[in-house]
Amino acid sequence: MKHHVQIEVNGRPRDDWVEERELLVTYLRETLGLTGTHVGCVVGECGACSVHLDGALVKSCLVLAVQAGGRSVRTVEGLGRGGELDAVQASFVDAYGVQCGYCTPGMLLAAHALLDRNPDPDEADVRRALAGNVCMCTGYVQIVRAVLDAARRMRAPAGSERR
Amino acid sequence: MTSPGPFAYVGKPTPSREAPRFVRGRGTFVDDIKLPGMLHAVIGRSPHAHARILSADGSRAARHPGVEAVVTSPEHVELTSPFRPGRYASGLGTHVPEYAMAAGKVRYVGEPVCALAASDRATAEDALSEIEVLYETLEAVTSPAQAVAPGAPLLFDEVGSNEVWRNAISYGDVEAAFREAEVVVRHTLSMHRYSSTPLEPFACVASYEKGGGTGALTVWCNAQAPEVIHDALRETLGIDDVRVVITDIGGSFGQKIHLIRKYVVITALLSMRCGKPVKWAEDRTEHLMAGGHACGQEFEVEAAVKRDGTVLGLRVREVDDVGGSLSTATIHFTNKLNNLFNTYRVGAISLEGTAVVTNKCPVVPNRGIGKPAMCFVWERTMDRIAAELGMDRLEVRLKNVVPTGAFPYTTPSGNIYDSGDYEGLLHTAAERMGYDELKAEQARARTDGRYLGIGIAMGIEPGGRNLSRDLALLPDVKGIPGSGGTSGATLRIERSGSVTVTLGVPSSGQGHETTAAQVVAEVLRIPPERVRVASTFDTTASPWGGASTNSGNNFHLYEIGAVHGAATQLRDKLLALAASVLGLPADELSFESDGVVRSKADPARKTGLVELARLAYNNTVLVPDGMEPGLQTTFMYRFPHAQPFAVPDEQRRVRAQFTFPASVHMALVEVDVSTGRVDVLRYLVVGDNGTIINPGVVEGQVIGSAAHGISVALGEAFAYGSDGQLLTRTLRDYGKSTTLTTPSIEVEHRGMPSPFTPLGQKAAGEGAAIPSPAAIASAVEDALEPLGVRVRDLPLGPESVWRLINGLPERVFD
Ligand code: FES
Ligand code: FES
Repeated sequence: MKHHVQIEVNGRPRDDWVEERELLVTYLRETLGLTGTHVGCVVGECGACSVHLDGALVKSCLVLAVQAGGRSVRTVEGLGRGGELDAVQASFVDAYGVQCGYCTPGMLLAAHALLDRNPDPDEADVRRALAGNVCMCTGYVQIVRAVLDAARRMRAPAGSERR
Repeated sequence: MTSPGPFAYVGKPTPSREAPRFVRGRGTFVDDIKLPGMLHAVIGRSPHAHARILSADGSRAARHPGVEAVVTSPEHVELTSPFRPGRYASGLGTHVPEYAMAAGKVRYVGEPVCALAASDRATAEDALSEIEVLYETLEAVTSPAQAVAPGAPLLFDEVGSNEVWRNAISYGDVEAAFREAEVVVRHTLSMHRYSSTPLEPFACVASYEKGGGTGALTVWCNAQAPEVIHDALRETLGIDDVRVVITDIGGSFGQKIHLIRKYVVITALLSMRCGKPVKWAEDRTEHLMAGGHACGQEFEVEAAVKRDGTVLGLRVREVDDVGGSLSTATIHFTNKLNNLFNTYRVGAISLEGTAVVTNKCPVVPNRGIGKPAMCFVWERTMDRIAAELGMDRLEVRLKNVVPTGAFPYTTPSGNIYDSGDYEGLLHTAAERMGYDELKAEQARARTDGRYLGIGIAMGIEPGGRNLSRDLALLPDVKGIPGSGGTSGATLRIERSGSVTVTLGVPSSGQGHETTAAQVVAEVLRIPPERVRVASTFDTTASPWGGASTNSGNNFHLYEIGAVHGAATQLRDKLLALAASVLGLPADELSFESDGVVRSKADPARKTGLVELARLAYNNTVLVPDGMEPGLQTTFMYRFPHAQPFAVPDEQRRVRAQFTFPASVHMALVEVDVSTGRVDVLRYLVVGDNGTIINPGVVEGQVIGSAAHGISVALGEAFAYGSDGQLLTRTLRDYGKSTTLTTPSIEVEHRGMPSPFTPLGQKAAGEGAAIPSPAAIASAVEDALEPLGVRVRDLPLGPESVWRLINGLPERVFD
């Protein structure tokens, strides 16, 4: 049976019919074409599908689309503005925090969730915040550096950022 | 021979060319592809480890609303041809046809037995349970020992034994080494089954169109080696018009070379059956069950040693647990020729091995393919020698490494180590790690009841494969079935003065676009931003690339060689064209930055890239006679220093690979003796990757592969029940490390340029995954030395370590 849902996705209201068993990640990828959210396991163990649901970090393979009804979702496509990279994205690029790029969107959203609540994390904070996001390529060092660098950029007074 | 540098762009951390699209979520992975009318496939897999297929009936599933194509194993065998035996099964005596689906029998849990395509994935999954497959179950064998025991059930009746292969090779006078030995050090060792589990599982879209001849087939898939897919589709489906497109790949590590071909064939067959495009995306459990494992390898090792620590020779006997397929049965043995002597100047070695089939997932190439185990054998043996002779572990290594003055160094097996400073790597690592201070700290900690351990391991990372290698093991094979290797790059200078590059290989996170752009920029003296490297591989557009994977560590030799060669050709052509435009001899011109060509004598006389490009394409009347118009070229690279030993000589000496990076790894661990938990407190890699093209990219490759090797040592592992059921079906059960368990790996480059390559580049990819398991084993053994623990087997998860501490049998996994 299909259910009617209204979800705000990356700031835009959506109005759709979804199957009751449809996962949020499937809705985002298949219905909305937001393919930046990836699937690495569909059982909540890899973090490739991480998005924000009402500002909280969730694994969109563990949430049904109907559960997102009446709520707001932010995906990687909602980061940055007008094609400009935000501080976290820019830091990932500059610190070589991206190899195959498959874990990257989930990592970015996990990093944002951390920086939203802790603008001045240390390495251990970053490692804890990313513990639910697996990367098979990088060994994490450059990702952790990127998040610490992003925190610095975001704390820097406006206008003094490198980009 | 060339001496590289100084460089304008090579060696600089130029910004990643790939990262911007990925941080925007705009990569194109196969599962992101949507074609009009596309169906979704699912694959039915064997729930049994060993069984005969009695019947399969897909008729009920075919009537399920939304289902448009069904294939079961008996139909599959009828409709397709088997794969041709390939190089991963070199020298197998009996050829047993292998199809994409199980034929008659299943030999591992997860082996594909049926498939269907439906309007959407959920419908396909619903309908799959309606395909009825009847089995007669057979007894499963899950270890080599069990498989070769008398009366054990046979996996392949045609072969007549579960020991499907046996081989032996030796170099130097091994008997003499043991006669001269003052001490013989013996031990047994083993490495377990693991995988590099790329975060993106296998995926494929196949689109078949009926038409002239055999019809036309296009597949998009995340395979690393397009040639494997191309060959597989032609061999099994008999279609000649095959196009393979490879977009972004979410990690590969060798895992996506071989078994993925089965699924591409199955998806293509479904598309042929219904005439519509079909997508298949593997799930994680499918990948862990049937996507391929690194081989379980067991060793008996004897070392002939002098009392001063000099190693005279090594005898190694190996048993490989190759799982339920013959198609990759020999690769973990044959690949040991690549690093047979590791970093050591030892005169003699013998390697004898068998491959045993078991009812487990087939083995596949995986970050080093047998090289990590060969390194493990050497490095555990060096530690053993140090322990038995009461020497320091560094000292034993310093005593035996190829001395710095001896390069280029030819090993007794014919590998020629291009350049190196192994002593320097060891000294630098010890210094940076604070080896002596750490030993003092360890002694203090022990008095407090804390168990710190310092691990050392060193290894080489051979680069650039040589197709004739296996002939050394197969002296009866007549003629040369293969030798050397090649890959192409196509370069085009556009009329805007920018450059477009197409490589013969797909990329899967190794920074090929970034790195290739730097090399072009270097040769043509233009900023790397002006070079665009295609991110999609397409057999209808890309040059040929046989050396397609980093797993053979081919990129830096073959692809960079091709890019450098093509750019050099175009630079020479630009000079010739400029000479004709300016009316000056080419040798009176200088090639300057930003594509300016100027007269040396009269700097006012100049021309530039844009002017020359316009002329080359749009003013062909002015292109000198005999010169091809345009500024596009494809260069196929062949390693020019492949002799001697490009093919095996009468002593079976062969260059298994062509460039030889090396590294020393040091680890500091703490073991909690009450739980067996191992914490890695520090981890250092001091590496020689030759000339580094992009330090950020190379650092990432080194850290990433070291992190995997550490995780492998500390417990990531496939475990099977005695019934052949895979017990580790999720990433968590499998034990993949996370940010919390992966140390903050430090890397120091101490590069020695290769004298054999255009830029002095060697290789950088899988390298750090080779010594890292041994480094962790070394550290854990060192930590537990007061308890008399010896580490012979991996993995070292808490349970295994706890058992070691408590004197219980070491092996937890089959
Ligand atoms: S796909 Fe959701 S956590 Fe892995
Ligand atoms: S970059 Fe490949 S999984 Fe993280």
